[in-house]
Amino acid sequence: MTKLIGQRIKRNEDPRLLTGQALFVDDVNIPGMLHAAFLRSDYAHAYLRSIEVSAALNRPGVVAVITAQDMGDEWQPGPPLVSPPPTVKGVIFNSRTQVPLARDKVRHVGEPIALVIAENRYIAEDAVEDIDVDLDPIEAVVDLETALDRSAPLVHADLDSNLAAHLVQHRGDYAAARSEADLVIKRKIVIDRGAAAAMENRGIVADWDAKSEHLTVWDTTQAPIPIRNGLAQRLGLSVGQVRVIAPFMGGGFGPKMMMFYPEELLIPWVSMKLGRPVKWIEDRRENFYATTQERVQVHEAEMALNKHGRVLGVSHNFLHDSGAYDPYGLTIPLNTQSHVLGAYDIPNYYSDLKVVFTNKTLTTPIRGAGRPQGIFVVERLLDIAAKELGIDPVEIRMRNFIPPEAFPYEREIIDQAFAPLILDSGNYKPVLEKAAAMIGYERFVRDEGPRLRAEGRHVGIGIVTFIETTGVGPYEGARVTVEASGKIRVATGVGTQGQGHFTSFAQIVAEQLGVGIEDVHLVTGDTSDFHWGTGTFASRGAVVAGNAIYASTQVVREKILKLASKVLEAPEEELEIEAGQVRVADIPSLSISLGELALLANPLRGAVQPGTEPGLEATAYFGPQYGAAAFGVHAMILEVDPETMMVEIKRYVVVEDCGTILNPMILEGQIHGGVAMGIGNAYFEKLIYDENGQLLNASLADYLIPSAGEVPRIEVGHEETRSPLNPLGTKGAGEAGTIPVPALFAQALENALADLDIEILEMPLSPNRLFEILQKKEKEK
Amino acid sequence: MKLEGEYTFDGPQAEVWKLIRDPEVLSTALPGTQSLEQVSENEYQGDMNLRIGPVAGVFSGKIIVSDEVPPESCRLTVEGKGKPGFVNGTGDVQLIAQDDGKTLMKYAGEVQIGGRLASVGQRLIDTASKSIISQGLDTLNRALQARVAAQVTGKEVEYTPPSESEFAASVAKDMATGAFSASRMVWIGIAILIIVLIVVLVFISRGGN
Repeated sequence: MTKLIGQRIKRNEDPRLLTGQALFVDDVNIPGMLHAAFLRSDYAHAYLRSIEVSAALNRPGVVAVITAQDMGDEWQPGPPLVSPPPTVKGVIFNSRTQVPLARDKVRHVGEPIALVIAENRYIAEDAVEDIDVDLDPIEAVVDLETALDRSAPLVHADLDSNLAAHLVQHRGDYAAARSEADLVIKRKIVIDRGAAAAMENRGIVADWDAKSEHLTVWDTTQAPIPIRNGLAQRLGLSVGQVRVIAPFMGGGFGPKMMMFYPEELLIPWVSMKLGRPVKWIEDRRENFYATTQERVQVHEAEMALNKHGRVLGVSHNFLHDSGAYDPYGLTIPLNTQSHVLGAYDIPNYYSDLKVVFTNKTLTTPIRGAGRPQGIFVVERLLDIAAKELGIDPVEIRMRNFIPPEAFPYEREIIDQAFAPLILDSGNYKPVLEKAAAMIGYERFVRDEGPRLRAEGRHVGIGIVTFIETTGVGPYEGARVTVEASGKIRVATGVGTQGQGHFTSFAQIVAEQLGVGIEDVHLVTGDTSDFHWGTGTFASRGAVVAGNAIYASTQVVREKILKLASKVLEAPEEELEIEAGQVRVADIPSLSISLGELALLANPLRGAVQPGTEPGLEATAYFGPQYGAAAFGVHAMILEVDPETMMVEIKRYVVVEDCGTILNPMILEGQIHGGVAMGIGNAYFEKLIYDENGQLLNASLADYLIPSAGEVPRIEVGHEETRSPLNPLGTKGAGEAGTIPVPALFAQALENALADLDIEILEMPLSPNRLFEILQKKEKEK
Repeated sequence: MKLEGEYTFDGPQAEVWKLIRDPEVLSTALPGTQSLEQVSENEYQGDMNLRIGPVAGVFSGKIIVSDEVPPESCRLTVEGKGKPGFVNGTGDVQLIAQDDGKTLMKYAGEVQIGGRLASVGQRLIDTASKSIISQGLDTLNRALQARVAAQVTGKEVEYTPPSESEFAASVAKDMATGAFSASRMVWIGIAILIIVLIVVLVFISRGGN
């Protein structure tokens, strides 16, 4: 068997992508297709008094203008996507889901109020401006910390307050641990908002064919199957009447997992009403208002330690900003709770979470999804403790790691999978040692740092660790088919947004079936090809779909060998599959191609024996017992320019342990992209809202994403601790690049500016903000 | 958001009050004013063209004047909305006679801005609005000086206001040369601009009565 898993193989999909041959939603053009544009609220919080649409309707080329009133009984709030965990006792959860079009009140800037359908987008946009809407503004809820005051206006007037959820989790006895502690570190930590800023915005094309009573939807979704199921239900169709295709996508990062966006329901709905295909492509400004965001949390956190730097316990009360609605339940803050203890063996924990409604765009998971906040809290507290105790930052981490023999390690905290988190496996120390060696940690601390400091330069080093819970259930499936051409067709339900599935999944199949990876044709994200599954999120593709593909391939391999044994009249044990041929190991001339076998397995004459199936095909599913936990270390050396406060990242090292590696090149690509996003989260990207809930930087000229100039060369090292929870031994890695970057930046900046003795307790920063922090420090002196 | 600002006119209070009641002078001082109608005793409606960087369009405004004490002060409430967004605000304007025969204009108030004007024009609002205010008030001041001079000499002094394109060119020049360096308090700039626009609109209307 030629080893393909773990090989550095170039991506199958790249020729199509690089030559512009790949299909994206906006490439779908159907004769007679109409175009949609939305009227969106300019106010964060206002009563909708009236809408006058006649001028828009009279504009030539306008086909329809839809308001909430026009939808009649079909106007319904969206379904709650994730309910709160029933396993946590005493949880309060007020479910308020997004609406297709605002009916009597708008709750965030950009909330859709009316939908215009026209012959082209230009006309539709002009007609949006023809609509006269009377919005009566009321005070907006913006600040997280005052949102729960009695005097605060209510985002949802039927509730007593803006509390969306309240949940307390604990393990051990934090109060007792605190009373025994030699040192208690207490800090307020604030994390603000950012956007996913995918290269491709959202887009939907819906085509209702009245004669065949069939709806086809192309959607930039990470979860085509749940979208298909939900659309069928909402539109009164059978699931067989709806086909959802998630074609190639310019990035997902989480917000494309939100279900349902108002547009996602309205475009198919209006296509059915009009009996015409309809296209809507989100523009960048809409994306800033209408696509979900993340990260806002305020923590009052403390850490109790003994004098040797052993952490006895962590406690925090934190607020999480849900935005105007909470369809995504508690996924993000549950991830925060399950990551606030990091990679460490911390016996006592107390966590009080309050989720708050505000008049801002909804928050749902973005790459990291609550984990960066948790890791930021624990790594920051640990850094401050290390400084107080005079212990080296690397050493204090070593002292607190969960030891390898403690796995599977029970964290006793309910996480996003609704079960107490168990970390399946890990060996953390070698990963940290490798990262420290790669960045030259000791040398920098001993020689280089002091030498550069003596030259008056502000160069600092940082090194932080993180865990990432990945590969959660419930399940994914796949169908593997040997075609008469000898090529292999693989269909799976997860969508693909650039993760390299066409290659890494092909490697799994090609290795088992003895073909080249270019002979494996993968279909993802088309419900007509495979219609059981959940989606691509939570770093689960390689774990859950990967192992489902592995399982179906195993069955196909058995079928191949069984049939070939009959045809070649040789026992199965003597057969091998190589280069698309099944042959008898000792007599290579005695062979048959996979294509010929596939034809024999699907005969035109004769009789298929009872109890057998035609074809060389199998469908199998995989659902892990629980998620696999990856681990990693990031380290960097950066220099701060004291004149401009800009930073230059001189070295960036990542050592990642995500179990079995399918393709190191693809993994490294994932890490590189993740780090770039993390750099944005740490030093560039911040959505700025004013006190009225107006977003002040809704363009890529003002909201800065890191470009090639800000992203350094990233050196990646690997360790492999196989997950015992799946046959391939894989763990997810999709979010690993992003999670620890803010914590790393904070540590490295403090180190670079050690003479100024600042503490970084907030993210994202910016050159401006760093300047302000330094100014404040100056004044205090 | 709170805002405040001031400007010194080179002429006495009564003349400044008279000047800003002259609709022709005022509309030339801030090109872009399209119409202004009185809809009730203290309420006015008007349209104005506004361009801030990439954001341009017509704003339709409603203005309510209260607490007027000629020639000293008044309070203005504005609700304006247009394709590029909305502006809502309240402001107090004062004219204070100075010992040297000059007049100090003070304005203070609170303004809310939303829509594209807030989200996309943000980066340019500060510089553009400072420039527009400065050029507009300078134009008024030149008109004032021309009048004062005419009273002294008994002759009409020619005063040529800038055209809309000249005005826009001057603003663009200010922005390009960074004549008004950007501060972080961008809102104050736009707020001042809006209040000045309101003042102008109101006085155009009053002057026309």
